[in-house]
Amino acid sequence: MNSPKSSLWQRLCTIAGNTFREAVRDRILYNLVVFVLLIIACAIILSDLTDGQEARTIVNIGLNAILIFGTFISIFVGVGLVSKEIEKRTIYAIFSKPITRGEFIVGKYLGLCLTLLVNVAVMGIGVSLALLYVGGTGLAATIGGSVLLMFLELAIITGVAILFSSFSSPSLSALLTFFVFIIGHMSSSLRDLAANLGSKPATIFFEIIYYLLPNLAHFSFRTEAANGLAPTFSMLGGAVLYALVYIVILQTLSILVFSRRNFK
Amino acid sequence: MIPSSSKAIFISAAIIVFGFVSVFVLSNFLEQNRVQMPQGFEDADLTLEGKRLKGYALGAEGLLADWYWMKSLQYVGDKIIKVDPSNVNLENLTSLNPRLLYPYLDNATDLDPKFMAAYSYGASILPAIDPAKGIQLIEKGIRNNPGEWRLYHNLGYIHWRLKDYEKAGQIYKQGSEIEGSASFMKLMAASMQNQGESRDTARSMYSQLLNEAQDEQTKDNADFRLKELNALDERDAIRAALKKASEMNGRCPQSWNEVLPVLRTVILPAGNEFRVDNVNNLVDPAGDPYILDRKRCDVALNSKSRFAR
Repeated sequence: MNSPKSSLWQRLCTIAGNTFREAVRDRILYNLVVFVLLIIACAIILSDLTDGQEARTIVNIGLNAILIFGTFISIFVGVGLVSKEIEKRTIYAIFSKPITRGEFIVGKYLGLCLTLLVNVAVMGIGVSLALLYVGGTGLAATIGGSVLLMFLELAIITGVAILFSSFSSPSLSALLTFFVFIIGHMSSSLRDLAANLGSKPATIFFEIIYYLLPNLAHFSFRTEAANGLAPTFSMLGGAVLYALVYIVILQTLSILVFSRRNFK
Repeated sequence: MIPSSSKAIFISAAIIVFGFVSVFVLSNFLEQNRVQMPQGFEDADLTLEGKRLKGYALGAEGLLADWYWMKSLQYVGDKIIKVDPSNVNLENLTSLNPRLLYPYLDNATDLDPKFMAAYSYGASILPAIDPAKGIQLIEKGIRNNPGEWRLYHNLGYIHWRLKDYEKAGQIYKQGSEIEGSASFMKLMAASMQNQGESRDTARSMYSQLLNEAQDEQTKDNADFRLKELNALDERDAIRAALKKASEMNGRCPQSWNEVLPVLRTVILPAGNEFRVDNVNNLVDPAGDPYILDRKRCDVALNSKSRFAR
C-alpha cells in the first residue's frame, strides 16, 4: 500500500481514493441516472402542472431529491465502510501496513465525502440545466449556495454514520443515524415548542439536544433558494465552520472508540 | 511520564470540549445571520393546482388534500395570531389579506372532492373574506356531492349572511328535499321567507353550525356568534329593566345591584340566565363586565369585548 516513510496525507489520500473507487465499483453513482431521469421528467411534465411556476418547483423537487439521495448514500454507505472491512477480514491486511486506526477512519470518511461531493455536484448541475431549460436562469444562478450547504449537511451525516458504525451493527447504526438526521432538522422547533410549553425540564432537555446534536436546520436553504434567495457570505462561512467543528468532534469520537475496539 | 493512551484520551476530550464550545458559539451566530424570507412570502401564489395534481399523486391524493387542509387552517390561524385575536373583526377579515385561503381549500377539495370539513370551513370563513369565492367553493361541493344536504346548509348560510334571504330560502328548500336531511332545513327554508333578519333565525343557524361543524375554527366561530346574539338579548332586557327602575324611582340605578333582582326574573330568548362575576358585576356571555352608563341610563359593552356594538 504505502512505504513506511509515506506521509500522513499520502496515506489518507490512498485510503480515500480506494473508498471512492469502491463506491464507484458498487455502482453508487448509478443513482445519478435516476436523478437525471427525475429532473428531465419534472422539466417536461411540470409546465402543465404548475401554472407557470415550473422553475420554482424544479428547485424544490431537485434540491430535496439531492438531499434524499445524498442522505441515503451517507447513511447506508457510511455505516458499511468499517463493518464491511471487518466482515471480509480485509481490515487485518490494512492494519498490517503502517496505517493507524485513526488514519483508517479519517481516510474512509474523506473517501465517502469525495463520493458525495461528486454526486451532489453532478445533481446540482442537473438541476441548473433543468432550470435553464424551463427559463429559470435567475434561480439556476442562485442555487449553488444551497447545494454547498447540503453537501456540508451530508458530510456531518456521514460523520455520524461512521461514529455509530464504529461500535454497533450496521442496521442499528443506520437507524440511529436516521434519527439524528430527523432530530437534527427539528431540534430548533422542538426547543421553541418546549419553551412555549413552559416546562423547565423539557426546556433544559431540548436545549441540551439543540447544542449536542448537529443542528441541521443551519444547512436548510431549499425553500429560500426556491424563492431566488442566496445565502450570505457570513451565513456560508458560519455554516462551513460549524460543519468543520462538528466533523472534527465526530471523527475524534469515532477514532477514540475505534482505537479501543478488539478485532480478535 | 504520562502513558500514550491516557495522553490520547486527554487530547481527544480537549478537542471534543473545545468543539462543543465552538458549536455553541457558531450555532448562535448562524441563527442571527440567517437570511430572512421576503415579506409576504406566506402569501405567494401556490405553484401546484390540485386538479392537475390528480393522477400524479401515486394514490396519495387524500394525503395531499389533508396537507392543503392543514395549511389552510394554519394560514388563517397564523394571520389572526399575528394581529392579536382580540382585534379581529369576524365579519370582515379582508384586512388580514388571507388571499391563499381559497386556493388551499380549492386544492384540498379538488384532490378529495368529498372533503366535507374543508367545505364547511370555507363556508364559515370565506364569507368574511370573499363571499363569491365561498359560494364558488360550496357550489363545487354540491356538484361533487349532490346528496349531501349539509352543503346546501353551508351555501344557504353564505346567502343569508349576504342578506339574500330569497336565494337562501330556495337553497334551504332544495336541501330539505334531500333524503335524510335534518328537519332544521325545512324550518330555515320557511323562516328565510319572512324572518330572515330575526335573531331567532340567526340563533338557529349558528346552533346548527355549532352542532354540524367538523373543525374547531368553525365551531369557535359559531359559538362566538351565539354568545354575541345572547349579548344582544341581554342588553335589550337590561335596557328594559333600567327604564322600568328609572320610571319607578325617578332616577337611574346607580349600580347593578339595584336592577339585579328584576333581571333574575327575566326569561331570555335562548333560556339563558344573567350572570355576575365574583364582585357582583353583571357580565356578558364572554365574561366581560357590562358597563352601566348612568348619564344615559343605558348599558354598554366593555371596551375589551369583541362583540358587535
